[in-house]
Formats: sequence, structure tokens, C-alpha cells
Amino acid sequence: MAETLLDIAMMHSDSLIARAREGDKNAQGKLVQLWYKRIYNFSYKFFFDHDLAMEVSQKTFISMHKNLAGLQEVARFKSWLYTIAVNYCREETRKKKASRSFSLHDLNPGEGEESYRWEESHHRNENPERQLRHSELSDLLQSCLMELSHEQREVVIMKEYEGLKFREIAEALNISENTVKSRMYYGLDGLKKILEQKKITKETIGYEL
Amino acid sequence: MNYKPDESTLIAFLYGELNEKETKKLEAYFQQHPEELAKLRGMDEVREVMSHAQDKEVIAPPVFVDETGIKPLWQSSYLRVSMGMAASILFLLVAGKLLGPEINYSNGELRISFGKKAEQPMQPAGLTEEKVNELISSSLAKNNESLASTRTEDQKKLMQTLVDFNSKKMNELTKTASQASQEQVRSFVSNLQEQNLKLMKDYFQLSTADQKKYMESLLVDFSSYLQEQRKQDLQYVQTRVNSLEKNNNQFKQETEQILTSLISNPGKKKNNY
Repeated sequence: MAETLLDIAMMHSDSLIARAREGDKNAQGKLVQLWYKRIYNFSYKFFFDHDLAMEVSQKTFISMHKNLAGLQEVARFKSWLYTIAVNYCREETRKKKASRSFSLHDLNPGEGEESYRWEESHHRNENPERQLRHSELSDLLQSCLMELSHEQREVVIMKEYEGLKFREIAEALNISENTVKSRMYYGLDGLKKILEQKKITKETIGYEL
Repeated sequence: MNYKPDESTLIAFLYGELNEKETKKLEAYFQQHPEELAKLRGMDEVREVMSHAQDKEVIAPPVFVDETGIKPLWQSSYLRVSMGMAASILFLLVAGKLLGPEINYSNGELRISFGKKAEQPMQPAGLTEEKVNELISSSLAKNNESLASTRTEDQKKLMQTLVDFNSKKMNELTKTASQASQEQVRSFVSNLQEQNLKLMKDYFQLSTADQKKYMESLLVDFSSYLQEQRKQDLQYVQTRVNSLEKNNNQFKQETEQILTSLISNPGKKKNNY
């Protein structure tokens, strides 16, 4: 995956984190700008729900603002931030189980111009048909991801989409690296079976796109 | 060979995080168990397929820092409570001062009163209303009699004193007037004239000195005003000259630029379509 300017900025954000930890409001604001998209996407892939992802993202950054002064090592900021996000994801999952509510996004609004996928698209310069297919494929893969257990899903998202190292995932989840790898193995194995069931392969995807 | 890699080793191999020794060991294992390698390749394919799940675009909301935790001293609850108590006590003190409350306990009777205690008239025992009236009327009659006698005596004395005093004064005045000679009157008049003359002289002298001072200051002020005016006029003229010079330079530069432009683009045609 090619490094974007955002990725480079995130990697070189040590001084920013140090300043934010000392109470620099401007630095804290910049940190939010840098990490918001990552935390939102992590939460979105975890829940497949925009509202819950927004909720978790906001709570995560409020918590970051409150507790940043207590962060011991700047180098551990990434795993520390994901720890907060994972904890809020788990909390929301418990709440969701208790209330059994569902998001309006769970409803299929149908195809064509009425579809919310059009509203969510930001790549307006792309071919609309191709863009819609990408969006549909994303949702399909997302639904496959949702069939994994919470533990496996957390690890797969962190490794495959958030690009965390196994060590960082272990730190974020407070488990051993071997456990992370084991969950990853069973997660990928589970995904393979799910994709096979839905007849999604590299070839079919290539044909669709 | 009983070697069987665990899941973590296989995943480390899949992500290329296995050391060389372990990798060789695993490759040897795969040669004997190609189904395991196929399984790993299947997982790699899963990774590739799953990578098509796109990120959602989201705009980070603006950050608002809640500063309500730091309250100024006057908004702290402790200060408010203590101020409230102090205000209540002050109110009670002021009310007490104004109303003057008095609490008494005597003969098994608790009495709370406000304001000054009403003085009760002492009534001597054994006196009836008639007796009192009689005493008052007799006392008043006596008093009136004594007052009348005193007044007539005083009037007489006063009249006598006035008559004595006036006649004495008149006598003295007549005596003094008759004793004053013609020379004394003349000297008094001349003295009076001299004094008046001196006064007038002083007045004119003082007046002339003040007027002189005033005129001098007026002349000085006028000359300084003229100098200032001249200075300002000169400055204005200087500014105008500078401005003209500047405009001239600018005009020169513009002309040079136009000329340069004409010289450097000789073949350029102007299109209006």
C-alpha cells in the first residue's frame, strides 16, 4: 500500500504527541485531525454501522483528550489509542446486545439513486457505475467480516486495514503476540470459509470490477 | 519428522515475519505437507480479496475543549455557601440593630419585644384623680401669680434701664459735637482727601503695569503663531514637491516598462476574437 501524506504525518507525529501531552490544545486538535479517519474506519469495520462508529470515534478522542497527560511513552500512542477504541467498541457491543436496536443503515434502501451508497461516495470524479460496484463489494466484504467473532474481527481489522504490527495489536488488546497470531490464523481461516460460501473469489471480484 | 508448526508460526510465515532458520524448517515441512502450504496460499488470497473493502471518508469534527472544570474562585460552591451564610448573618444583625429586639424572662414569663421599651408612669399609691386635679390646679394658680408679679417687676426695671442709657448717650454725643473745633474738621477733611488721592494713584500705577504685561505677552504669542504658520506652510510645500517628484518617477518607470514591453515583443499581435 502506497504511503499517503497522512500516513507519513502519522509516523512523524511524535513531537505532536509530546506537545499534546503537555496540554497544547493546537497539537491535540491536530492529533484528532490525523487519527479520526483511522479510528472511525476501525470502528466502522467493527460494527458496519456509521452511527456507532461516530459514537466510538468521538468517545475515543474525548478520552484521549482527558487521559493523554498520563501516557507514559510517546511511542506507544498508536496502540494506546486503539486500546481506547477497542474498549469503547466492546462497550457499545454490550449495549447493542442489551437494547437489540438496529441502525437505519441496516435497512436496504434499494438500488439506484435512492441508495445511501451514493450519498456516502466522495470520489465524484470516478465512473459512477464502477464506484457503485466498489461500494457494493465493500459492503459485501464488510458483511463477511461481521460473521467473525469479536476477538478475531478486532485482530483482522487491526492487522489488515489499520496496518498495526503484531506487537502493537498485542499491546492494544493486552494479550500475547502468539494469541494475536493464533486469532489472526483462525480469523483468516474463518473468512476463507465465509467467502467460499458466498462464492467470492479473486476471479469473481476481478470480473465484477 | 514430528515437527508441526503452530498457528502463530504459520501466520508469521504468511506475513514474512519469521526468521531464516524457522523459515527453512517450515519450507521443509511444506514439502512434506503441501496441503498446509495450499491452505496458507488460500489465506493469502483471502487477504487480497478482503483488501477490496474500502475506507469510508469521514471529516473529523472540530475540537472543542471543555474548560468548565476550571471554575473561578467566585463560582466555587464553598465560597457561595460561605458568602450566603455571611449575608444571612449580616441581614440578621442589621435587622436586629433596626428593630432592637429585647428578650426578657421574669416571673415565669418570656417576653420578646422590639423597639424602645415604653415607660410606664409611676402612680403613687393612695392618690385619687380628684386629689391630683386639685394639686395641679393649685400649683398652676401659684405659678401664674408668681409669673405675673415677676413680669411686672422686670418690665419696670427694663424701662428704667433704657431711659437711663439713652439719656446718657445723648448727653455724651452733644458734648463731643460741641467740643469739636473748625480746625479739627478741616484736618479731618484734608486727611480724607489725601487718602483718596493716594488710593487713586496706586490704582492707576497697578493698572498700567498689568496692561503693559498683557500687551507684551500678546505680541509674543502673535509672533510665535506667525512662525508656526510659516513652518507648516513650508512643510506643506515640501510634501507637495515630494509628491510631484514621486509621481514623476512612477510615470518614468511606467513609460520604461511600456517601452521594454514593446521592444521585447515586437511581433506580438493583438486578437480581439
